[in-house]
Amino acid sequence: MTVRSSLHISLRALSRNKLQTALTMVGMTIGVATVLTMISVGSGAESAIEDQVKAAGMNLIVITAGNYKVKTDDDYGVIEPSAYLYHRHRREFMLQTAIWDSRQNARFGLIHAEDDPLAVHDHPTARQRLGDSEAGLGAAATLTPGDAEAIGKLRAVQYVSGGVHQNVHVVAGGKRWFTRIHGDDVSLPRIRRAWVFTRGRFYSKGEQKDAKQVVVLGVVASQKLFGDENPVGKTVSIWKQNFEVIGVVGSGSWMVAAAPGDDQFDAVYVPFTTVHKLLNLSKLNDITVTCASSGDVTRVSTAITNLIRLRHSITNEKPDDFTVTSQARKALATGGMRPEMAKAVVGNMAGLERVTLEQLGKTLDRASKTMTALLASIAAVSLLVGGIGIMNIMLLSVTERTREIGIRRAVGARAGDVLQQFLLEAIVLSAVGGLAGVVIGVGVASSISQVVQWSTSISLASIAVSIGVAAAVGIFFGYYPARQASLVLPIESLRYE
Amino acid sequence: MSVISIRDLTKIYRMGDISVHALRGISLNIRASEFVAVVGPSGSGKSTLMHILGCLDHPTSGQYLLDGRDVSKLNDDELSKVRNRQIGFVFQGFNLLSRTSALENVELPLLYDSGNLTAAERKRRALEALAAVGLDERTEHHPNQLSGGQQQRVAIARALLNAPSIILADEPTGNLDSRTSVEVMEILQDLQAKRGITIVLITHDPQVAEYASRIVTFKDGRIIGDRPNERQRLAVDELANMPEPVEETA
Repeated sequence: MTVRSSLHISLRALSRNKLQTALTMVGMTIGVATVLTMISVGSGAESAIEDQVKAAGMNLIVITAGNYKVKTDDDYGVIEPSAYLYHRHRREFMLQTAIWDSRQNARFGLIHAEDDPLAVHDHPTARQRLGDSEAGLGAAATLTPGDAEAIGKLRAVQYVSGGVHQNVHVVAGGKRWFTRIHGDDVSLPRIRRAWVFTRGRFYSKGEQKDAKQVVVLGVVASQKLFGDENPVGKTVSIWKQNFEVIGVVGSGSWMVAAAPGDDQFDAVYVPFTTVHKLLNLSKLNDITVTCASSGDVTRVSTAITNLIRLRHSITNEKPDDFTVTSQARKALATGGMRPEMAKAVVGNMAGLERVTLEQLGKTLDRASKTMTALLASIAAVSLLVGGIGIMNIMLLSVTERTREIGIRRAVGARAGDVLQQFLLEAIVLSAVGGLAGVVIGVGVASSISQVVQWSTSISLASIAVSIGVAAAVGIFFGYYPARQASLVLPIESLRYE
Repeated sequence: MSVISIRDLTKIYRMGDISVHALRGISLNIRASEFVAVVGPSGSGKSTLMHILGCLDHPTSGQYLLDGRDVSKLNDDELSKVRNRQIGFVFQGFNLLSRTSALENVELPLLYDSGNLTAAERKRRALEALAAVGLDERTEHHPNQLSGGQQQRVAIARALLNAPSIILADEPTGNLDSRTSVEVMEILQDLQAKRGITIVLITHDPQVAEYASRIVTFKDGRIIGDRPNERQRLAVDELANMPEPVEETA
């Protein structure tokens, strides 16, 4: 007998007892809906954590021009000579950002910004321009846009942004604000995942190519210069040049607060080409790189070190003229966390300096995966109950319909035909119930994310898995009753009353 | 040429420690187009014989040749095919699928036929069979909307569908009143006369057995009599002499 006519018979049989069919399906529906909802909540949490991790710079690598040695205990940076890294590739950077940069906070409070000596001297470009002899080897501006381009071609590298950084006075109307200017690549907003454009937009590729005088203000800078006004479309003056304000950027992450003095939001952004043109520069201060996966950071760091040494023709005995750091203070100190949180983390976690952010990321990842698995296995119980419901109904139905089986056998149905018919009934029950469950599950998941603001994520894969599991449950729990049905002897079933 | 040929057939049912000898060495030849009645009291083994003849049950020992083929050597699927193609069943309890229309009940054997018939062809043949038993106006009725006689006619139509060479009728009039019994017998006699179908009628009622052309008598699992019936009752004549029936309510 063809599957089609078998299916026809099965559907007729199911439609004869609509209430029983519907109730059996409900069991399946609830099971599938629960599994789907739980998986979506679990993987939603997973990707939320992943997002936060990325927002904190876990997959971030920064290549800085020059090579700083770790000088004193007082140095809050993690900056190790990358020559060291070069010789011991596998060694992971330690999270040594234990001390919050109190100087940075203090400097705007105690000393007027414009008189801040650190602001001038603490920067390679500034040193180069000022001819700072103290800077020595480490101060050389050695990185080029070509280096950035080459890094972009490495495997597992996601985004690359080369940057030049200065301290400037930004003037708008009567107001003046001393802040950082970042000349960055257009891909920067993709790297700074926690960014939200409160107004306007980032500059475009075209504007970067043409070195347009456009500027994006950090929220703090915007607040200082324009108050609550919308600055988009207005003009500010930097280096006595007019720049059009095209956007305002703020923090979209609870882990990152915009505050005066921070590097991200008390700052202004212009295309690096514009800075190059106006200041007649050709080098970069740093190159920021993100890896597609946070697990790749160490490998990619090594690859970058090797690549740039090659490009800069540095022989084996000589140290690097650049520094590769993964995340480091960009993540935790200046850009990453609220200061009080950084303090709490540092104060309460013994041996934190031995935990790399990568390990931390992996731990978080494992934890969220465990949670998803836990939720899914709880939900799987309801799926199991649904399956047992189907089996129960099918067994009952086989008993109830013994006579029908006998009649079919008498007119020529083979044992296999009977098996097929009952198996199809079970599969139809579970597949239709499962489909309804998918619809309900998707609905519940999306209303959870809207009402409770949990992030949920429903992937096609999880839907496919749910439907597959439903059909498998149908086959698994339907097979036994169907086999029972096919084993009924024709003569016995005809005698059955 | 014998359509059915059985030799020393025995059937023993085991129920715990007790063995019930339902058939104790039966030998019987039935020629094509014969109308044979197997008559005997209940428990005489005639129903067991019918189940074995219908390939619904296996004999404990002995040989059964159906159209010259040894049925005892066939596997389950092959037996299903024999039931589907060569044998039509008519039962005392009709054995129709409930909540299923007369038409679909009649179509049933065609669903299990390996020849791939279209739905339209199945329907055409089912309607033809229903017309042959005079039920062409009640094709969409469910069994519970039909009288006993009508249900039995649906069952006969179903038995006819694959043009079987044999119809096995097990007490076909057992649940019917006298007039509809005669009607059913008329159909069976007609099928034998016009289509040459071999009919084996199982009954406990000697009066019903008189419709057959040959009467085999059973007792205690043995054949105790086998005679041609010279005074065969003709249902068509009896119907002509009966008063018109009151309109059957469906």
